[in-house]
Amino acid sequence: MDYLGQLLANGLVLGAIYALAAVAFTLVYGVVRLVNFAFGELFMLGAFLTASLMLPEVRLLGTIVPMPGFSLPVAAMGAITLTAALGVLVDRIAYRPLRNAPRLAPLITSIAVSVVLQSLAQTIWGAEELRFPEFYLATLPPVVLFDSIYLSVMDLVVMATALAAMLGLSAFIARSSLGRAMRASAEDQMAATLVGIPVNRVVAAAFAIGSGFAALAGLLYAQTYGFAHSSMGFLPGLKALTAAVLGGIGSIPGAALGGLILGLVEALGSGYLPNGTAWKDAISFVLLVGLLYLRPQGLLGKPELNSAGRGSLLGGASEFGAAWLRTSFAKVDGALARAAAGGPRAALALLALAILVGALVPSDYWLRILTMVVIYGMLASGLNVIVGFAGLLDLGFVAFWAVGSYLTSILFVLVLKDQFGVAPADIWWLLYLNLPLAGLLAAGFAVLLGTPTLRLRGDYLAIMTLGFGEIVRVVAINWMDLTNGPMGIRGIPAPNLFGIALGSPRAQFFFALALAVLVVFAIARLVRSYVGRAWVAIREDEEAAEAMGVPTARYKLYAYAASGFVGGFVGVFYAHSQQYISPLNFSLFENILLLMLVVLGGLGTFVGPFVGALIWIVFLQLALDLPFVQAYPETRFALLGVVLIVLMVFRPQGLAASARVALTMPGARPGARRVKEVA
Amino acid sequence: MRAPSPTPLLQARAITVRFGGLEAVGNLDMAIGRNAIHGLIGPNGAGKTTVLNVLTGFVRPTEGELVFDGAEIGGIGVNGFARRGLARTFQNIRLFGAMTVLESVLVGAHQRFSANALSLVFGRRAARDAEAAMIARAYELLAFVGLGAEVADRVATTLSYGHQRRVEIARALISSPKLLLLDEPLAGMNAVEKAEIADLVRQVRAQGIAVLLIEHDMQVVRRLCDHLTVLEYGRKLADGPPEEVLADPAVQAAYLGRAR
Repeated sequence: MDYLGQLLANGLVLGAIYALAAVAFTLVYGVVRLVNFAFGELFMLGAFLTASLMLPEVRLLGTIVPMPGFSLPVAAMGAITLTAALGVLVDRIAYRPLRNAPRLAPLITSIAVSVVLQSLAQTIWGAEELRFPEFYLATLPPVVLFDSIYLSVMDLVVMATALAAMLGLSAFIARSSLGRAMRASAEDQMAATLVGIPVNRVVAAAFAIGSGFAALAGLLYAQTYGFAHSSMGFLPGLKALTAAVLGGIGSIPGAALGGLILGLVEALGSGYLPNGTAWKDAISFVLLVGLLYLRPQGLLGKPELNSAGRGSLLGGASEFGAAWLRTSFAKVDGALARAAAGGPRAALALLALAILVGALVPSDYWLRILTMVVIYGMLASGLNVIVGFAGLLDLGFVAFWAVGSYLTSILFVLVLKDQFGVAPADIWWLLYLNLPLAGLLAAGFAVLLGTPTLRLRGDYLAIMTLGFGEIVRVVAINWMDLTNGPMGIRGIPAPNLFGIALGSPRAQFFFALALAVLVVFAIARLVRSYVGRAWVAIREDEEAAEAMGVPTARYKLYAYAASGFVGGFVGVFYAHSQQYISPLNFSLFENILLLMLVVLGGLGTFVGPFVGALIWIVFLQLALDLPFVQAYPETRFALLGVVLIVLMVFRPQGLAASARVALTMPGARPGARRVKEVA
Repeated sequence: MRAPSPTPLLQARAITVRFGGLEAVGNLDMAIGRNAIHGLIGPNGAGKTTVLNVLTGFVRPTEGELVFDGAEIGGIGVNGFARRGLARTFQNIRLFGAMTVLESVLVGAHQRFSANALSLVFGRRAARDAEAAMIARAYELLAFVGLGAEVADRVATTLSYGHQRRVEIARALISSPKLLLLDEPLAGMNAVEKAEIADLVRQVRAQGIAVLLIEHDMQVVRRLCDHLTVLEYGRKLADGPPEEVLADPAVQAAYLGRAR
C-alpha cells in the first residue's frame, strides 16, 4: 500500500505536467487541425527561460550575462509570457501561410520549427544541462500523507498549479467571448469567418495559450527534475501528444484525463514492471498504440477527426510569392518532373553520371558523403513506397532500417564473433545472405505494424506509426542483452567479397550504388504494374479503389511490406558501411529527415529520393563552411529548418509537385502512343 | 449473350437501412433481371443512392439480404462486391487524380491480374503478357465508350466532364461485370450527349451485362429502361414496366407533388 500510494502520488505529479502540455496540443489541434510538434521545444524553452530569469547570471553563447535573479513565480510568469509571444510569432511566420495547404506541409514546418528551436537553444545555452535553481518552497520538508507517502511541497504546488490552470482555461473557454469564438472556429472555421469571427486572431490566441501551457509544463518539469536541457522537450512533447490523443485530441477534459492516465500508468509501470524505469517510455507508446487500435478517436474525441484525405499528401496547394520566385520554382519542378518521367533511359543516364563521379572524385571525404547520399536516397525510396505511392504518412519507418542494421550487427559481432569467435572475414558471405533476410524480417515487422493502423487515417496514422518507431527505439536502448543498449555495437566488419575487402570509400560508394540499382529497379517494377496502380488508387481515393475491386487493406499491407523490405535491406549495408550503430542512429529525426528528402525530390517518383538526398547532404556540407556555422556547429540544423520552412511556406506542394511516373509496364503497350500531357 | 434465365440476377430482400434513428431505406424488395436495363427513380432524397450503395457493398444494410447470381452476398467488403461482378460509377465522378486515363481504367481491371511480386520484379513473360492484354482491352473499351486513343495518356481529371463520365464507365466495364450500376450517368449533359450515353447503355446490355441506373430525366428513362423501381421516402412506391409505372397516379403525385 505504501509503495503503491507513493507511486500513485508520483504519477499524479507527472500526470499533471503531461496534462498541461497535452492541453497545448489539443487546443491548437482543435482550432487549426495541426499537430504542432514544436510544443515540445516551447516546453523546453519555458524551462530554460524560467531558470535563466531565476539565476543571478547565465552563460549565453559562451559569455556570462547578468540576470535579474527573480523568484520562481515571477520568473515563471516572465517565461510563460515570452514563450506565448514566441508561439504566436511561430504561428504567424510558419503556419498561417499554410492554413489551407495539404496535410504534409504544415506537419513538416512544425517539425522544422522544432529543429530550429532546439538547435538555437543548444547554441544559446550550450549542450550541457542547466541546473534549475532551487526555490525556497522546495527546501521545506516534505509533506507526509497516510504516514508513508512523501510529497514535496513543490509536488503539491505543481498539482495545484496544473489544476488551477485547467480550471481557469475551461472557464475562459466556456464564458469569455474569445473562448466562444474559439469553440466556434473549432467547429467550423468557414462558418466562423462568415459570421465575422476574426479567425486569425482566435488562432493566435490558441497558440498563445497553448505555448503558455507548454512553457508552464516545461518549467514545472524542470523544477521537479532539477535541470533544463536543450533536448528535454522531445520525449515529454511526444508523451503530451500521446496524452492528447489518448483523451481524444481536440477535447480539453480529454487532455487532462489522458495526461493523468499516462502519468499514472508510467509511474505504476516503472514501479512494478521488472526494470520498469528503463521501460517506462515504451509503456506510454504501447498504451497509445493499443488505444488507437481499439478506439481511434481516443477516449473523449470525435470520430470524424480520423477521416481520410484524398490525393497526394502534398497535392492541390496554392503558392504565393513574387512572380520570379514562382517561375523559378516552376522551372525546378519541370526539370524534376522530366527526370521523373524519363523512365529507364533517364535512370541509366543518372547511373552513368554516378559511376563517372564515383570513379573520378579524388577525395575520400567526398566519396563518403556521396555514399551517404546513396544510402539516404535508398532509405527515402523505401519510405516513398508507403508515403509517396500509397499516400500513408509513416513516421515509424526508421524501425525497419533499425531491424536490418541490428540483425546483421548482432549476428556478425554479438553472436558469431563474441560468442563463437568466428572471424568476420571467414563469413563474409553472411552479409549477402543478411540483405534479403533482413529485408524479409523487416517486411514482417512492417506488416505487424501496418495491421493495426489499417483503420487509421491522416494525423492519427502518423501518430500511431510514430509510436511504433519510438517503441522500437526504446527496445533498442533497453534490451541490453540483445542490442548492447545505448553503447551500440562496434566493430561491424566492412563489406567483403570473396575475401576482397571493400572497405575503401570508393569501393563502398560503388557497393552502395549497386544496391541502389537493385532497390530502384525492384520498386519501379512493382510500381509500374497493377500493384503500383492499386497503391496510387488508394492514395487518390480509397473508396473508389475498393469499388474497383482493389482489396485496399491488403494492398496497404503490401506497401508497408515493400517499404519495410527496403528499410531492412538497406539497414544491413548501412551497418557494415558505418561499422558502428547505436539507437541514436534511428531516431524520429532521421525518419523526418527521410520524409523531407522525399518531399524535396518528389513524392511518388523513383529518382526523387536520390535528388532530395543529394540536395540535403551537399547543402549540409556547404553550410559547414559558413563562418557562423563554424563558430556554432549546432546552427546548421537551424539553417536546415529555416530552409525547409521557407520552402514549405513559398512552395507547400514541394519542389517536384508535378512529377509523376508512368504506372504501366514499359514495353507492354501496343503501338505505344505518346501524347504530351497538359498538366 | 447469356441465355435468359428465370431467376433474377440480383435480388434484394427486405432491405432496411437506418442511419442512427433515420430510416433511409425501408423494407425494400427489388429484383434486377438478367439482361435488364433497370431504372431506379424517385424524388430527391428518396434513398436511391443509398440503395445503390447497398447493392455495391458501400453501405451494409441494417436488415435484409442480397442474393446475386444465385449466391447470398454480404460481409465480403466493397472489393468483394466488385469481384463478384458488380461494377459502379459515382454520382460525383471519382476518377483517380494524378493518374492517366489508361491507368485509371486499368485500376478497374485489378482483379484480372494475378502475377506475384517476384514475377513482377523479374519481369516474367506471363506478367508482361497479362499487362499487355489488359492494356489492349482498355484501349478497346475507351473506343467502346466513344473516346479516342489520344486521351489515354492524359491525366484523367483534366478531361471534360462528359469524357470523365465515359472514362468512369470504361473503368467499370473492364472488370467484365455482370451488373453495371450507374449513379446519374446523364447528370449535367446536353441532349446530344444524353442520347449518346443512352445508346452506350444499350450497347452494354447487348454485351450481356445488366444495367441499373439512377436517373431523373423521365424521357430518357421511359425510352431506355425496361423495368423501373420507384422510391419515395426510402420505400418502394411502384415497380414494373416503365409505361405502367409512370402512369401510376401515386408515382405522378410523388413527382409533381401531392394534392393536399
